[in-house]
Formats: sequence, C-alpha cells, structure tokens
Amino acid sequence: MTDTTPTRAEHKLARKMKRFENPWMNPKLLWGAGILIGIIVLGLLGRIFWDPELVFTGSAPLKLPPIGFENLRKQAGIWDFPLGTDGAGRDLLALIIIGAPNSLFVGLLASCVGMGLGIFLGFSAGFIGGRTDDFIRVISDVMITIPPLLILVVFQAAYGDVSLTMMALLIAAFVWQSPTRLIRAQVLSMRESGYVQMARLSGASTMHIMFKEMLPNLVPYLFGSFIANVTTSIVTAVGLEVLGLGPQRIPTLGRTIYEAINSGALIQNLWWWWGIPTLLLAVMFIGLLLINLGLDEVSNPRLRKLS
Amino acid sequence: MTSPILTLKDLSIDFPTPGGLVHAVKQLSLEIDPGRRVGFIGESGSGKTTTALAIMRMLAAPGKVASGEIRLGHDKTDVLALSEEDMRKARLGRVSYIPQGAMNSLNPIMRVENQMWDGIVAHEGKTDLAELQRRSDAALESVGLAAHVGRLYPHELSGGMKQRVCIALGVILTPELIIADEPTSALDVVTQKHVMQTLTRVQEDIGCGLILIGHDMGLMAQSVDELAVLKDGELVEHGDTRQIIENPQHPYTQDLISSVPLVGGPSFLSPAVSAPASQKEGPDPLLQFRDVSKRYGDVTALHPMSFALDGDVPQIISIVGQSGSGKSTMGSLMLGFNPPSSGEVLYEGKNLATLGAAQGLEFRKNVQAVFQDPYACFNPFYRVDHALKFPFKRFGLSQGDDHTQQAMEDACEAVGLDPNLILRRYPHQLSGGQRQRLIVARALMLSPKLLIADEPVSMVDASLRATILKNIYDLKDKHGISILYITHDLATAYHVSDYVIVLYQGRIAEAGPPKQVIGDPQHPYTQLLIDSIPWPDVNRPWGTVTGDADSQLKQLQDHPTMFRGVIDGFSLSTAA
Repeated sequence: MTDTTPTRAEHKLARKMKRFENPWMNPKLLWGAGILIGIIVLGLLGRIFWDPELVFTGSAPLKLPPIGFENLRKQAGIWDFPLGTDGAGRDLLALIIIGAPNSLFVGLLASCVGMGLGIFLGFSAGFIGGRTDDFIRVISDVMITIPPLLILVVFQAAYGDVSLTMMALLIAAFVWQSPTRLIRAQVLSMRESGYVQMARLSGASTMHIMFKEMLPNLVPYLFGSFIANVTTSIVTAVGLEVLGLGPQRIPTLGRTIYEAINSGALIQNLWWWWGIPTLLLAVMFIGLLLINLGLDEVSNPRLRKLS
Repeated sequence: MTSPILTLKDLSIDFPTPGGLVHAVKQLSLEIDPGRRVGFIGESGSGKTTTALAIMRMLAAPGKVASGEIRLGHDKTDVLALSEEDMRKARLGRVSYIPQGAMNSLNPIMRVENQMWDGIVAHEGKTDLAELQRRSDAALESVGLAAHVGRLYPHELSGGMKQRVCIALGVILTPELIIADEPTSALDVVTQKHVMQTLTRVQEDIGCGLILIGHDMGLMAQSVDELAVLKDGELVEHGDTRQIIENPQHPYTQDLISSVPLVGGPSFLSPAVSAPASQKEGPDPLLQFRDVSKRYGDVTALHPMSFALDGDVPQIISIVGQSGSGKSTMGSLMLGFNPPSSGEVLYEGKNLATLGAAQGLEFRKNVQAVFQDPYACFNPFYRVDHALKFPFKRFGLSQGDDHTQQAMEDACEAVGLDPNLILRRYPHQLSGGQRQRLIVARALMLSPKLLIADEPVSMVDASLRATILKNIYDLKDKHGISILYITHDLATAYHVSDYVIVLYQGRIAEAGPPKQVIGDPQHPYTQLLIDSIPWPDVNRPWGTVTGDADSQLKQLQDHPTMFRGVIDGFSLSTAA
C-alpha cells in the first residue's frame, strides 16, 4: 500500500462512489424534497409569525405594490404588507401562507387516495387475473383516455361550491389509472419470479406474497408514481380554481390567480397579484420534478453515473 | 515461421467500482498464430470476455485498458492507438465478434440478408445489389444454410440457425480474427455440436485465428488447438490443448478438468453404507401421475404418462431432456403450480387439485424444490435468512427464535457454508453457488419427503457443480429424501440417479436404470444426445457435421418408447 494522502480528485471520486452506493442521497432528490418542505414550513411558520386574518377582504389598503416597487398611483410598498396587496385589500403574503399549503394538500390527498385505489386494483388485476383482470384493465384504459378537466368542470359547475377535501377526492377519481397499470404490469412479471415461487413453496398466503414479498420491491416505482400523481393533481386543481370552479371561500393559489384575472390585474399592471402565486406554483412543480428525477435514479441504477 | 495474428502484451484492464479499483485483467500476454483456435477458459468474472472486448475496443463504460499493448494482424496495428473511424473499419473487417447469446443480437424487424448487406456496405461503401446478394448467399452457404434463409426474419429461424447466421455475419468480410464468446451457451448439446463444427469449419476455410471463450472444458477439448486458462484476471496456464488436458500443471486447471463428470467415468460421490429409512407413512405412493398430460393451447408439452414413486426407499429419479422436452412442465405439475390438462397428480393418494387448506400446507411442507436460477430465488429486499426462516416458521417447525437460528446454522454447515458469514447478508452479496447451496440448506431444514430439483446446477460455475450435486445427493443419502432431478446433463444424471427418464418433445424416449439407458443407449435420440456431449478428451472423435440438426431431430419424433428394465419402488408407463 502506498501511504500518500488522497488527492482532491480521489476525494471527489469517493464521494461519487458513495452516492452510487446509496441512491437515496442523490442531490436531485434532496433539493426537490428541500423545496417542498420549504413550502410547508412557510405555511407553518407563517401562521405563527404573520397574521392569517389578513386574507380577508378589506383587511388592508388596496393594490399596494411589494417592497421596493411603486404602483400606478405612485404608492410605494410598505413593510406592513411586504408582498403587496390585491384589489380587494387582501395581503398577498398571507394569501400565500394560507394558499400554498392548501394547494399542496389537495395534491397530496388526491394522490394518496388515487395510489391506494391503484395499489388495490393493480394487485387484484395482476394477481387474480381472468375476468377481474379484464374488467379492471378495460376500465382503467377507458378512464385514461378521458380528460379529467372536462368532467370536473361540468361536475363542479353543476355542484357549486366544494370543500378542499371534496375537490381532492374528485381529482383522485382520475389519478388511479396509471398506478393501476404500472402495478399490474410489475405484479404480472414478479408473479413468475423465483422468489415468489419460493414463497409459494414455503406455503405463504396470497396476502403475504402480495404485501411482504412483492410490495417492498415496488416501493421506488410507487414513490415515482405518487410524485407524478401529486403533480397532475395540483395542475388539475389549479386549473379548476383558475376557472373559478374551486372552493369559493378558501384561499388557494389558483383562486388568487382567478381573482387577479377577473379584476383586470393584467391591464392595471398589478403584476404581483398574479405573478407571485404563479412563481410559487412554478417552484412547487420544479421541486416535484426534481424529486421525480431523483426517484428515477433510485429505481433505475442505470441512470446513476459515476462520472 | 509466421508472425502472430494477435499479440497481447502485458495487458491490464481496470474497472473503478464503489469498492475500489478492480483489476479485471492483470498483465496478460498472449500470441495467436494465424489459423489457430485458442480457447479462453475460466469462470464467470475471470476476465475472459473483458479481454475479448478490449481487443474490439468495446469495453463497457467505466472499464479501461490501464496498460499493455494489443497488436493485430501481420502489420502489427496498435489497436489502442487507432482512431475511432479506423477502429470502426477494423471491427468486423479485421476482427469479428460473435457475442454471447448471439441469437438476440439479430435485428428482429430486418431480413437476415439485409443485416449482412449492412455490414458490407458499412465497410466497403455502396455496393451493387447483385454482388451483395452473391456474397450473402455464399456466406450462408459456408455455414450450411440454404440461400433462401437470407430472406427470412430472425423469428422464423431456430436457435441453432440464428447462431449460424451470426457466424455467417461474422465471416462475411473474411476477418483475420474471430472472437466467439460462449457461442453455444444457450443451445442444447445436439445443436451445440452442429454450431461448433460449423464454426471450426468456416474458420479453417478462411484460415483466420479464432478465440473461443467458454467455461466448458469438454467443449474446449473437442474444438480448440490451444488453451488459455484464466483465473481472476490472470493467465494461469497456456499451451497446447492436448498437453494441458493430459498433463495439467496448475491446480486450477486440474480442478476444471476433473469437475466435468463423464459418462462411465469415476463417480464424484461417495454413497453412505446404509441409507436411512424414508420418512414416508401410509401405503399410498408418495407421488403418482395418473395419465397426466399438459397442453398449452395447441402445443402439447407433455403427452399422457403415468408413474408412481413409492418412496419407501429414498431414490433419485432423473428426468433428462433438452429445452422444450417437457421436463420443467413435469416439475411444475408435481409442485402443483400448474394443473394438468388431463389426468391426476396424486400425493400420498390425494389429488393435488382437491387438497384443502391444511392438507395443502402439509403437501407444501413435504414436497420442496430447488430451482434453476439461484439469482432469482431470493427476494432482493430481505437478508437471505428470510428465505430459510419464513418457511420454517410457516410450517410450524420452529420452537422459538433460538431454535430457528440453530436450525439455520446447522443446515448451512451441512452444505458447507459458514453461517456467520452468510446468513445476515443480502442476496446480491452472495455468489450464485452460495445462493444455490443456501436453497439446498433450506430444503434440508424443512426435511421434506420429496425434493424436486429443476436444473439445480446449470447456472452455477463448473467447479462448484460437483459440490452442489453432492449436497443434493446427501439429502437422499443422509436424510432420506427422495429426489426428482430434472436436468439436461446426462453425465450427472448417470452418476446420481437410480432411474432415468429421457424425454423428447413431451414423450418418453427411453427409461430405465442409468447403467442401461445412458451407459448403453438403444433409442436413437439418447444415442444422439450422448454422442453430442463434449468430453475433455482430445482423442475422442466428436464426429463431423451430418446434415441439419433440426431435420435429424425431426425423424426421431415417432420412434417408440423404449423401456430398459425396472427398479423397485418406481413404475412408469405411457398411456396406450
């Protein structure tokens, strides 16, 4: 053995090797998770350090710009309302503090419910096979071709005001198809694998095979599918809100954008009204995308690079 | 004195991995003369394929040639110094590579001859269609295929034909060197013999050098002139094939040669003097087939057959056949994984199809299996002891965690594994041989009455095969477990079994005690199989190519079943 101290290049290589060994520590995943946690923390701390009452109409002066800017009436931003206020006298910072976690909540809830349905149906289809498989496959194939927004617009327009949870459940009805298909395909191939045969030989029950032998190996796929579903759900939810079809009384990012458009914020050059929520949504999507890319590396070792 | 066609000088190849730099090939020096066939033999991971890929400059991404020289041809071209474009021209033109599993390297949506034309056009530029046609027809003819084969798609060819097409593709530009990387590993012995003979004949016609990579000493002995034995990236022995086979110097070479079981040769087993009594209870046979057949759609995988294995005395029944002969179908019928299309499978007199839950568990406990692929048999999510612990508890054998642990350790030691090193590992940290022995240990722990061993050693390195077979044999010999041994390897079946069934296309070709069936085969199919096995014996003539393997096999289909004597405790019949 040579006793030379490792050079910087060797250190760098060692670090890369470590990353290769433990795929959960890849930078994409960490950054993505950091961004999302940041948004949640913003919501939590905001409620403590900022006044959530400021989301109500008329609680602040109208159309104030953010700090360091002037609006058309030459009013400068003040520290009482650092991100400005909207046309109905609501503080934008408070709207974001309340609204951003709400949007994330809708996405997560819808995705959780969708995944649960997907896992159940996917396992049933893959494991039971026969008629059950045909039925589930046809339903999910048909559902995947129907644009969810179309149905939801009709539904919400007829139903009127909905709660956040209700909207999440409605969206969940449109995000179970792809996890179902994914899990069904994996289950079909895993069913013939050696270790499942071994488990059958060991007298394992169907439940044991499904949840103890197969499910752990599906975890990276499930995570990936879950994150993709969160993205879809948020896009759908925001889409509905921007059309004015979301919850009427609960502040969400989508609803804020809807009101900005409705009140002619674009013409009046009130860019902060629609711009800040849009920016926050973009950051949220980037976070989700990074998580998804990171999870891809976890489930597919070929994407991990040494160089 | 001719100059060598390939010179490797102090060749070292490194792979950076998370565990540090791995030296895949160390200081390898070798010369290959024109017209010579050189065999690279060694176990998986010995660096034989890596060396071949380095000659083609096709090493997989992180690997690189650390030092040494590769010189090709009479003009001593430095392969490592060639530009990318020159290297592209040298591939196929000067060195051609027939990869492992070449059957999958044909483009499935192109006609065979178009793929051959692509090779010519890429090296010689635009060529006249008639000329292309003439050359592809000639190349196909040289490997014993009719010219019309060129107009077929790969899926229309059999495995052996595809492999020969790949050889034709490799020689179409008359290279100076052919590298054949385990060209027959996916083929059965009959086809293997035809393909190998085609390859050597074509190589002799062109007069080029040939590197044959493989792990089968028998195949090497019957087809190459020189042997290079590799172990852990080092060349441990190199010389004339005859000289190495008859007088191996390195202990590793000696191991490789002696690990090939021979029909009629000395046995690698040492049977116990008194076999223990079987654990069977009751008068009904342990396992019985009653006119069982299996069809998949229009294909009959297994024609109706009946047998009864009494199990009063532990016995090993071998089921021998090539891929597609129905032997694995028989295995899965016996395990109850598949229902038969007609007839009944009975376990101790009870039909498998109508077993209740408690009886089902009892059947599972008493009929265990060892599968072909040790890599797939462990759930990658769990440590390997999960596979041993779970069934032990499930079948109610465990009397507490300490007892389970003790049973696992005992079973590991019985198959020659160190429990402290093995049990807490993850599957990917163990070699194929270790995993397969663990599966045998698992069977031992459960002490079933019957074990179905489906090709237990075909995916394990040659030097470990004898050990694992010995472990399995001990199950019968020391623990009184009856075994159904499913294999394509007649030589091992000859040694371990009490009774042999030779299957051909779902029909029994020949059956009887191994001394008769394999020692003195009467059925033409059995004879053909035994003739085709390559032996590590340079003096044994391996025969010459006589017609097409496929047509030769087709004639055998309607030959009647031959029964060659009976043994106690096992009866067999085909349906009238």
